[in-house]
Amino acid sequence: MSDATATAAVRERSSDDQFVLRWSSREALKHAVLIVGALIVLLPFYVMLSYSFKSPSEIMTNTGGLIGLQEPFRDDYCVKLGNAAEDCMVTPVIYNYTTAFGKAPLLRYLFNGAVVTASIFFIQVLIALPCAYALAKLKWWGREFVFSMVLFCLLIPVHAIALPLYIMLSKLGLTNSYAALVIPWTISVFGIFLMRQFFMTVPDDLIDAARMDGMNEFAIIWKVMLPTAVPALLAFAIFSVVAHWNDYFWPRIVITGNRELFTPPLGLREFKGDADGDNFGPMMATATIIVTPLIVAFLIAQRRFIEGITLSGMK
Amino acid sequence: MARSRAHVWFVAPAVTLMFVILILPILIAAVLSFTDYSLGNDGAQYVGLKNYERIFTRSTYEKMFIATFTYVGVVVPLSVGLGLGAALLINSLKRFGDLYKTIYFLPVMAALLAMAIVWEFALHPTIGIVNKTLATGCGTVLEHWAWYAQGCAKTFPLWLTDRNYAIWTVAFIGVWQGFGFNMVLYLAGLTSVPRELYQAAEMDGARTGWDRFRLVTWPMLGPTTVFVVTITCIRSFQVFDTVEAFYPQGGGPSKSVYVMMFAIYEKAIQQNLMGIGAAITVVFLGFVMFLTLMQRWLVERRVHYS
Amino acid sequence: MCWPNSNGARATVATITLTRISKSFGATRVLNDIDLDIQAGEFLTLVGPSGCGKSTLLRILAGLEEPNTGEVRIDGRTVNAVRAADRNLAMVFQSYALYPHLTVAENMMTPLRLRDLSWRERLPVAGPLLARAKHKSLRAQVEETARILEIEPLLQRKPGQLSGGQRQRVALGRAMVRKPVAFLMDEPLSNLDAALRVHMRSELAELHSDLGTTFVYVTHDQAEALTMSTRMAVMMDGDILQLDSPQAIYENPSDIRVAQFIGSPKINILPGDVDSDGRISVAGMTLARRVSAANRGAISVGLRPENLKLAKGSSAETIEGTLVYRENLGSDLYLHLAIGENIGRLIVRAAPHEASGLNVGDQVFVERLRGEAIFFGADGKRVGAAGLKSNGADAARAVA
Repeated sequence: MSDATATAAVRERSSDDQFVLRWSSREALKHAVLIVGALIVLLPFYVMLSYSFKSPSEIMTNTGGLIGLQEPFRDDYCVKLGNAAEDCMVTPVIYNYTTAFGKAPLLRYLFNGAVVTASIFFIQVLIALPCAYALAKLKWWGREFVFSMVLFCLLIPVHAIALPLYIMLSKLGLTNSYAALVIPWTISVFGIFLMRQFFMTVPDDLIDAARMDGMNEFAIIWKVMLPTAVPALLAFAIFSVVAHWNDYFWPRIVITGNRELFTPPLGLREFKGDADGDNFGPMMATATIIVTPLIVAFLIAQRRFIEGITLSGMK
Repeated sequence: MARSRAHVWFVAPAVTLMFVILILPILIAAVLSFTDYSLGNDGAQYVGLKNYERIFTRSTYEKMFIATFTYVGVVVPLSVGLGLGAALLINSLKRFGDLYKTIYFLPVMAALLAMAIVWEFALHPTIGIVNKTLATGCGTVLEHWAWYAQGCAKTFPLWLTDRNYAIWTVAFIGVWQGFGFNMVLYLAGLTSVPRELYQAAEMDGARTGWDRFRLVTWPMLGPTTVFVVTITCIRSFQVFDTVEAFYPQGGGPSKSVYVMMFAIYEKAIQQNLMGIGAAITVVFLGFVMFLTLMQRWLVERRVHYS
Repeated sequence: MCWPNSNGARATVATITLTRISKSFGATRVLNDIDLDIQAGEFLTLVGPSGCGKSTLLRILAGLEEPNTGEVRIDGRTVNAVRAADRNLAMVFQSYALYPHLTVAENMMTPLRLRDLSWRERLPVAGPLLARAKHKSLRAQVEETARILEIEPLLQRKPGQLSGGQRQRVALGRAMVRKPVAFLMDEPLSNLDAALRVHMRSELAELHSDLGTTFVYVTHDQAEALTMSTRMAVMMDGDILQLDSPQAIYENPSDIRVAQFIGSPKINILPGDVDSDGRISVAGMTLARRVSAANRGAISVGLRPENLKLAKGSSAETIEGTLVYRENLGSDLYLHLAIGENIGRLIVRAAPHEASGLNVGDQVFVERLRGEAIFFGADGKRVGAAGLKSNGADAARAVA
């Protein structure tokens, strides 16, 4: 290897200073373009966060800056319940967030979201991992056929076949249940494909060594293959969790009316359905609460997230 | 060798589920598309090609195709182009590149439904921040722009409820949401371009950024582009969350935003017309599968280094 | 291979002068005020271990890297401010850096297109129509070069369909096609298999003499440097330790690091001692040759394996050792001896018939060829014989 490659990383840093000086105007132009883009991208996040802090009148008049003046205002609903006006003065931010949790069972929605995404991921791994192992490392009659079936199924977006799936579930009487939210996603052909590609790179020797040590095939999967596949699994986990926490279409179809089963996006949709002027603040608070977990996780483990979300691009 | 029959246990659950959850529904959709089936009515009539005939003749479905293809036609080139542009810009920056990357990727992470509701709010004709911001520009040089002057004189567009703007506004939100994803894929593609190729191009006399882009960057990003275009196509064909959030009934002003997924939802779930819903499903699957097969073909055709 | 001198289009030849070139990457200094004159038409090799700065120096010369200080001149003209694309140098990269999406012909055409055609003439379809004659002459140049390199049958293939050796030729072709003032090569053979590498050495040397152009060649392989160069510069830690013909460097290394780097197997270095009269003792014997008494103390004595020979028996002039390994190369045999008193290993070249009776574990006696020992002081610098300048190469070799 030549020393050029050895010092490539160092070079990167040192040439910075030169170029900044030489191309500063050009660099500034690039930043200007990117900043305009960033402002547009951030606009709705700003609206969401800022309005979740503001009082109805501030929202209506578009005043109050980023977080509002936080001047207490009168909660009309509270007055209507017969309380004295003085007792019904509320601080906007507190009002918005307590209403978000109080008016609808938001905690329940969040819980449902967590249960559903977690179950989906675990079942996906449970089903996909052994299959991927068999496709990658075992020789058996019909393997090619099953693999081409996987390749074919990669073509099918589950959302697109929602209608027949819905009919099947309703014939089984399973609509409006956790099962309905989870079942269609239990099989992730993408997961199988991904894991298979990953296992192909695991040396056969490792598996043969495990067999020599007396492990059976089940033990090999969970004790040898699973640990080696952790990076791929982690990326897949992020991919899967993001997709299903944010999914709206499928819950919308199979959950009708039963609030106990609402996932966070459904809950927010319901909220919006009967929102009036006073409720914009709480609605934005709800939106903030729903969006926050993934955004925070993303900001903490950015690299992993980008890896996971773009996984599908790495075959 | 007495290898166990373990593979049966490993593969059977996956194969069964693949068949029941992915393949069987296609067959069911295909069969139902020739009937007038509806849930609750057990007796389904065979109606031949009538459902398909409707899809390709009725003006409602013409609007559906127009809306869907307009959406796809706007979102795909814009979000791919902006994704590439952002990736190139960020990649050429000396610092703060990661910051922009993070910001542009945020919409990909956020629940689209939630963000749709926020956008609806921001685009509200009277209290929305967008039109309020536009109004502050009145009386400035911007008024030389006829469109702007008109907005100041009367009102700025109603965005989501004006039939002339609705589909474009929804498409804009689609671009807003999706281009960060493409940007990240392009950034990954850019890091895999060997540096020596750029140096070779310089030695060969490529003086301008455009020369380098034409000679090295664009060709080397070919596989990424094929993938990005396909996945963006498939995603934008499946647009639903924004449309349902803005127009729970009917698909927007004059059905101008009546996209296919919403049509399936409306016909089959809201109106219990399973036959026609199934027929749209079949047509939809046809599009998506065609696109993916195209992509696979293109990728296999252009393998550079072997 | 034969360059068409007949049509008179002999490539232009350039002298290249580097003055006080220094370069740091962050806190790491990779080049320390390098001065280097490259003569027109010579084959100059920069050789040294990884990280010695040789590739950086080449890239500064190419214009791909900017020096922190110093000046690069090509034919007397300062080119520091001239970008790589405008220096009219050609470079062959270690990875070949062929454009994978273009055919061999298109790859070789690229430098011509970018230099000789306007942007209009480069348009995909309209270009060839607008400037038919120009395009034709460029194609002719590509074909001519391909003929010389014997890669005509490959012209329509893509790099991915070629073997390593073929890619190497295409990379050479791309560099040759536009007749640059100098060829820069950055480890061009290191990705080839051993046999092809040896073959390509002779081919490159031949190409150089046919083209008559200046070649600047970077390698970490001392054998490549010795076999091909007109002159070679041995670099270490950002300095050029010695610049001379391969023969001179091999025989008269000016520094212990040069001596150890050049030559395979490595030169034997034995610890010696200089007394107050300048007498040198090493491995229990006293050499006839003396050095200046100023070198009193520890000294290193270098002995090349081919300057040692087997002796029949013990004497005052022999070194005794135990044979620990016979390295058989067929034509030659290298005997690795363990010699006593923590002195270390000694490698001796022997003809196969001389060593046929020796087995591992045997006691072996070795005598040295008179006057072939090379001395290095504690600082690693060459130490000459008494009364002579320490770097006087010929003087140091004189039989004492």
